Amino acid sequence: MKIQNLGRGLRFAAMVLPLTWFARPAFGQAQRTATAQAFGVSVSTALVNQKTPSATAPAEGGMVQTDAADVSITGLVSARDAYALASGWSDDGYSDAVSSASLGQVNILNGLITANGVLALATTTAAGSDADGSTLADLYVNGVAISAPAANTRVNLPGVGYVVLNEQIATGGGITINMIHVYLQQTGLLGTKPAGEIVVGSATSSVN
Amino acid sequence: MNTLRSLAALAAIPAVVLLASSCAQRDNAVAPNLGTPSFHFNVFTCTGFKMTGGGRIDFPPGTADKNPPASHEYETFGAHVIAEPNGQTDELGHCEGAKGSLEWVDHRPEYELNGRPLNLHSIDVTWAELATDTDCEEGGVHWGGTLVIKNTGQQSRFEVFDCDNGEPGAGHDGFGIRLLDYPYEVLCPDPALPPAEPSCTLTGGNRQFHPTH
Repeated sequence: MKIQNLGRGLRFAAMVLPLTWFARPAFGQAQRTATAQAFGVSVSTALVNQKTPSATAPAEGGMVQTDAADVSITGLVSARDAYALASGWSDDGYSDAVSSASLGQVNILNGLITANGVLALATTTAAGSDADGSTLADLYVNGVAISAPAANTRVNLPGVGYVVLNEQIATGGGITINMIHVYLQQTGLLGTKPAGEIVVGSATSSVN
Repeated sequence: MNTLRSLAALAAIPAVVLLASSCAQRDNAVAPNLGTPSFHFNVFTCTGFKMTGGGRIDFPPGTADKNPPASHEYETFGAHVIAEPNGQTDELGHCEGAKGSLEWVDHRPEYELNGRPLNLHSIDVTWAELATDTDCEEGGVHWGGTLVIKNTGQQSRFEVFDCDNGEPGAGHDGFGIRLLDYPYEVLCPDPALPPAEPSCTLTGGNRQFHPTH
């Protein structure tokens, strides 16, 4: 009896498993949806909520690029030559999403963090997601040079909070990349609590 | 322009001769003006397709290896083209009937114009054709139109050599661009480079070929 069951199981596996080996669904299956967003700088505090430049791929498929020669949010962050690009196309197994954000001469919190170049690049296809091509140039955190930080490198910023460099967050069917993500914290009698965030160079892509 | 056209056609002759016996498709033999024969992107056919995506190239040299970040020797782009051939060809023999968009930023400091990185933005995509002589696994396409150099407002015709060579796009796919009215190009003419010269290898991003549109 057990041998018969085993035989049925093997026959079932032989019939069904090969159908799962193809990454691209056959036409007629549920449409995959591609999404892509990118932005240069985002500040979110009790007093400031600003995101610029930002781009979101059209739902019907297409590409958007926005740019800003100068970005300045007083006392918090400044940057030059910021570009945000988002491209997304929903087309079953050929769906793809690519987004990028690039900036030069980045200065965060009056020189606490500086970088001469920031590029976030997120890519998703039916085959998966990656952050290939993302980079930080001439990065200094609290006066210390940091070269090619590994994904999700955390550095404490005494009195301010902490920063996550090359932050890579897996999302449903995609990825979000924040090249510099400052988590502002406030310390009081009741302990430490979040006080805001600064993100520089963010790209998100997904195919679901 | 006639001179450019003649040079391009001359450069294409060896490759066209090699391929002529095995390919009965229409070829309009517009090779890049690189000074040396191009071994790919010489034979084309007018058909419907779509190519989408974007990414990064580290040119020069345009290989799969990234340049040091501090050098700023890289380009980023987004681009899509939808080919809907109308049975006509333009004066250069390209397949008419296309739409699309191109955004291109060259981050190299030496290419800054008016204090900003060189930024190209398409005005109109007018032609697109499927290359039938490349090693691009999923599809290689040649397309173009007119663009504006946003730094100066000047306009130029352009052509793109675009290659989907499988997944992931980084290290596999290729992209190259040339302006026809200004001396600017990001092309990798070394046939030893994957996937198909004169496209340069992506160091990030992806090109996605859609056989139908």
